[in-house]
Amino acid sequence: MNFFSIVVRGLLRRPVRTGLTLVGISVGIGAVVALVGISRGFEASWATGMKVRGTDIVVSNMGNALAPKPFSSEVRDRIAKLPQVVEACSIYADLTSVEDASMMVVSAREWGGFSWQNLKLISGRMPHDGMEAAVVLGQTAAETLKKKVGDPLQLETKELIVAGIVDGGAMVENGSVILSLALFQNITGNEERINVIDIRAAPGLSEEEMKVLCEKINATAPEARAMVAGEHLGNSQAFRFISAMSWGTSLLAVIVGVLGVMNTMLMTVFERKQEICILLAIGWKPGRVIRMILWESALLGFLGGIVGVIIGTIGVKVLETLPAIHGMLEPDFNLGLMAVAVGLAVVVGVVSGLYPAWRSSRLTPSLAMQG
Amino acid sequence: MKIPPHHASADVSSEAVFEARGLKKEYDGGQVQALRGVNFRITQGEFVVIIGPSGCGKTTLLQMLGALDVPSAGILHYRGNSMAEMPDPSAYRAREIGIIFQAFHLLPTFTAVENVQMPMFETERPADTRTERAVELLKSVGLGHRLEHFPSKLSGGEKQRVAIARSLANGPAVLLADEPTGNLDSENSKHILELIIRLRREQNMTLVLVTHDLNIARMATRTIQMKDGLIVADLQTPPPEA
Repeated sequence: MNFFSIVVRGLLRRPVRTGLTLVGISVGIGAVVALVGISRGFEASWATGMKVRGTDIVVSNMGNALAPKPFSSEVRDRIAKLPQVVEACSIYADLTSVEDASMMVVSAREWGGFSWQNLKLISGRMPHDGMEAAVVLGQTAAETLKKKVGDPLQLETKELIVAGIVDGGAMVENGSVILSLALFQNITGNEERINVIDIRAAPGLSEEEMKVLCEKINATAPEARAMVAGEHLGNSQAFRFISAMSWGTSLLAVIVGVLGVMNTMLMTVFERKQEICILLAIGWKPGRVIRMILWESALLGFLGGIVGVIIGTIGVKVLETLPAIHGMLEPDFNLGLMAVAVGLAVVVGVVSGLYPAWRSSRLTPSLAMQG
Repeated sequence: MKIPPHHASADVSSEAVFEARGLKKEYDGGQVQALRGVNFRITQGEFVVIIGPSGCGKTTLLQMLGALDVPSAGILHYRGNSMAEMPDPSAYRAREIGIIFQAFHLLPTFTAVENVQMPMFETERPADTRTERAVELLKSVGLGHRLEHFPSKLSGGEKQRVAIARSLANGPAVLLADEPTGNLDSENSKHILELIIRLRREQNMTLVLVTHDLNIARMATRTIQMKDGLIVADLQTPPPEA
């Protein structure tokens, strides 16, 4: 028998209570893993989408809404004239309901622009021209909408044809309804309005030079803001709000976990008051008793963290199967996040155990003689 | 089986192990006076029985000797050193004394052999020799066949034997026993007392035993009688084993 087996035995003496506490902390950590994983995955997915499109700089006006604010399409021409801007592609991106799908990315792209080039046809064909009443669907969007090539698709008031199904190389691309910008502007009555410009910069620009180019673009087009691709989403107030909500919810869940573990450990100390006094009476130092309580709570946190990571991962997998958000989640469950989650759970455990441990160290060994 | 004592100074028979002068203990801001100025001197190897009616202060006195509580006033020395100034009472409890409780106080989720190992965690003893020593001790108290039994599966007498083995875990110089037979029937009481006396003799320990049983007092080398927080008689008696 070693000290650690005493710690384990302490937790096993009340398996139901330990189990319920584990569930409490696991749910908290599961929420952290799920929400942060989804949030990070969303950001990473947008960055991947930009990368596969070959976009170096994104010009948009990310306000409070989920989709960027529209501005005049004439901005594109001004930017395209700048040195070091090789190509510019106007886009109107929107998050809207499409038929039975409550939220879907609709990406209307300048016909002939480079943002079409990454799309690889899986079946069907590309639209014949910029005004053909046709769309291509990312493969996940096609699954979500239950569409195949040749099916009609209702977009706003217009019925379009699904000309093809494509692999865009990224979750955002594959979850999108993609069509010509001119057609979308016509359908929505947003003529001459766009909300995103994808820019390809001259090859070989350093990160610093890219930032300088962004500044030049901003000076040329004050209607929008140029950001290096991948960074623009993080500057969206809406995204930051969602991110903050994720962390806020996670924090609440963690606080609930802390209270759960603290309650359990306090109960443990009260319940084992005489046992602790006996240990003190037979020579255990108060420091060893403190370590025993802290190890118990840390172990509780560690196990809760492990179970929480599993719950969070499985929970998101289950969420992904829901029709309303199918294909929209690409959570980033990297080892770093899992390690942070388990580490957080251990910290939660230790912090929760501090007060009970302190209480245990204040017990007087003479109480062992009573009862 | 004889278990060698681990204390180095066990052979100093004339040395004062405990010395108390004007020892007082008050509770509730002085409303309760458990000890009201107690004086005594206990030397190495003595078997001292503290006897008296309930509430006379005998258990309080034992708590002071075990550094389980601190006196309100007076002087209490252990081997010439003030217990009030003891830098590490835990180390004293772990290495110098062994305590036997009336209600056994075994840890219910640990087996007999694990219970006996508990005090050894405060020593440098490695895990494997902890187990070896615990087994050896349990065999010495006649429980070699009950090593892996949990306290709930042991009789009262067996529990007290485990508690005795636990008290001897670190080879103490002093054994403090608080009504060790108080929860046992007469047959088990007899066996437990014989065991404690035998172990004390084999290991030349100082034994301070609290009881209100006059029959036990007759087995001691010395009887301290208490009443209302004071020592009212301190009698040397011929040791039964002599």
